[in-house]
Amino acid sequence: MSRQDSEPDQLPNQDRDAELEALLVEREVRQFLYYEAKLLDNRKLHEWLDHIAEDISYRMPRRLMRENTADTYSEESYYFDEDYGSLTTRVKRFDSEYAWSERPPTRTGRYVSNVVVHEDRGDELDVESCLLVYLSRGDSADATFYSGRRYDTLRRREDGSFEITDREIRLNQTILSTDNVSIFL
Amino acid sequence: MAIDDTGDWTERTLADARDALDEGLFPLEFFHDEQLHQLEMERIFGTAWVFIGHESEIPEPGDYARRYIGDDTFIFVRDESGEVNLLFDSCRHRGARVCRAEQGNTTHFRCPYHGWTYKNDGEAAGIPQKSKAFKNLDREEHGLAHVPRLETYEGLVFASISDEGPSLEEWLGDFKWYFDIHMKLPDGGMEVIGEPHRWVIDANWKTIADNFNGDSYHTAWAHGSVLDLELGGEETVGHAGTGDSMDRHIHCDGHTTSMRGFEDEDVFMTYPEEVVEDVFSRDGLSEDQWQVARQALSFTGAIFPNFGFLHFGDTTDDPDKDVAPFFTIRKWRPLAPDKMELWSWGLAPKNAPEEFKQRMYKMYTANFGPTGNFEQDDVPIWKGITDGAKGQFAKTSDFQLNYQMGLDWMSEMDIDENWPGPGFAYSENLEEGGMRLFHEQWYELLAENPRENALGSPINIQESEDK
Repeated sequence: MSRQDSEPDQLPNQDRDAELEALLVEREVRQFLYYEAKLLDNRKLHEWLDHIAEDISYRMPRRLMRENTADTYSEESYYFDEDYGSLTTRVKRFDSEYAWSERPPTRTGRYVSNVVVHEDRGDELDVESCLLVYLSRGDSADATFYSGRRYDTLRRREDGSFEITDREIRLNQTILSTDNVSIFL
Repeated sequence: MAIDDTGDWTERTLADARDALDEGLFPLEFFHDEQLHQLEMERIFGTAWVFIGHESEIPEPGDYARRYIGDDTFIFVRDESGEVNLLFDSCRHRGARVCRAEQGNTTHFRCPYHGWTYKNDGEAAGIPQKSKAFKNLDREEHGLAHVPRLETYEGLVFASISDEGPSLEEWLGDFKWYFDIHMKLPDGGMEVIGEPHRWVIDANWKTIADNFNGDSYHTAWAHGSVLDLELGGEETVGHAGTGDSMDRHIHCDGHTTSMRGFEDEDVFMTYPEEVVEDVFSRDGLSEDQWQVARQALSFTGAIFPNFGFLHFGDTTDDPDKDVAPFFTIRKWRPLAPDKMELWSWGLAPKNAPEEFKQRMYKMYTANFGPTGNFEQDDVPIWKGITDGAKGQFAKTSDFQLNYQMGLDWMSEMDIDENWPGPGFAYSENLEEGGMRLFHEQWYELLAENPRENALGSPINIQESEDK
């Protein structure tokens, strides 16, 4: 997966047809990410799992705060390092009437932007996006946010949709301001 | 009690606390009180031994990490000679912070304000234009301030900002017998994996202290979802007082641990055979300690005032995978009456195979830390307690919380007369004496009495009279 987030965007392509084709792909990807955000905002977790590939690697490393580098993430510490089995288990846990942290569910609003398709290999695409999540809980007006970038590999499916085969979530936060992370990002 | 500036507020609060503790109660309002918070910072966190970090977090000369005792910021740093220091992060000139990152490596800390520079052992190395500007300034007296007392136990570094009081050795007392089991069982000891998780939650620090001081009663309810999915066996997660496990609640010199295990079985917290055979060692442990480790399935515990640990076996991130153990230590740092920062570290035996260490870390994040399947459900509950303590009703109705389980007039409780370790062990886990012991110590320190005055519940007092 490429992480060219420090690279400037490419200059406009001289080939209009190729550029139109790329734009259509980018639109498809954006539509999928918006759809995914809505599933998660509505807590349709099983429907979300339908778009998770069985060979998924889903990771959220801990951000580090270092003197001279802005974009450093731990090689060893993480919040999530999930495969399909553990991710499915987390989803099933929320079906339990004892999963107190999400009863009632966190109110979330996901804003997906800055979508860049880094590489289109036909059957798989490497995609970078920004994610801002508004969160509010319980009988309270208090709200907090997660903010970060996601690096995804999406696989085309026969039904025309995508499934996620690789996701790395890089939060901006070093110290979390939430009780817990009981949502998926 | 109402806000009162007449000067006897502390006295009246302590009298109320004493009355409540004598009944096995604790006023709800104590979980959210600005004046009590100030008193706790001064009399508990201003005197106690507070956990700073593990030596394995700063293995090389120059490695440092910013760490905290209450509201005070320190630099936890290994100097060029390999010694571990804890330096107050405040320039001796005008008080500016000299350390900006959370962790890193440096030979010097340089103040951004006027450029005063300090070696990583705190010594003042450079003062710009000193020969003209500060020609009579004694460099020796203007190094970064060292914390008054810093001591290490099995790689765990603790500090006290008070220059007097019991040593760490005395503070931990015989509880080391229990903590040795975790730290010395593997040959080569335990090491921290990566960087700690940090998150700030809107809850009073005493809520989590209660939880880690032997709340076996909560697991089946608060963590019912984990039980539903069979992510841990009945004996790890299930109801207190049920199942086939050998359950013990142990109090020792003010610190507590609860254990679940199986009598006369080789359990070793479900560490795999190759780790038990190749990495575990009897060398650092007595035969009795070894036997406790052998039969143990899980441990929870707390070192007064703000250090907790969990060493669990028989857990998984997926019911289709094999179970594995995890070991985590943590600190809760009070920030306000209704706010604390949690710090949580995953550990593994230093000499275990790399793949297994990663599996242990995975088990830690699957179960505890901000994303843990257990811990996700704890924190909002602690927040709820704190919210309830905030208002007038807790004060005006004198709302008392009940910690009476296990008191001799409330439950039938036995002491395990054959328990091999120091302190004493209740022969089951349906009791709340660990929390009462925590409250008693909290009280004694606020009253400026020796912590040893805290005897916990009447059954403890009876025991101590028998001895």
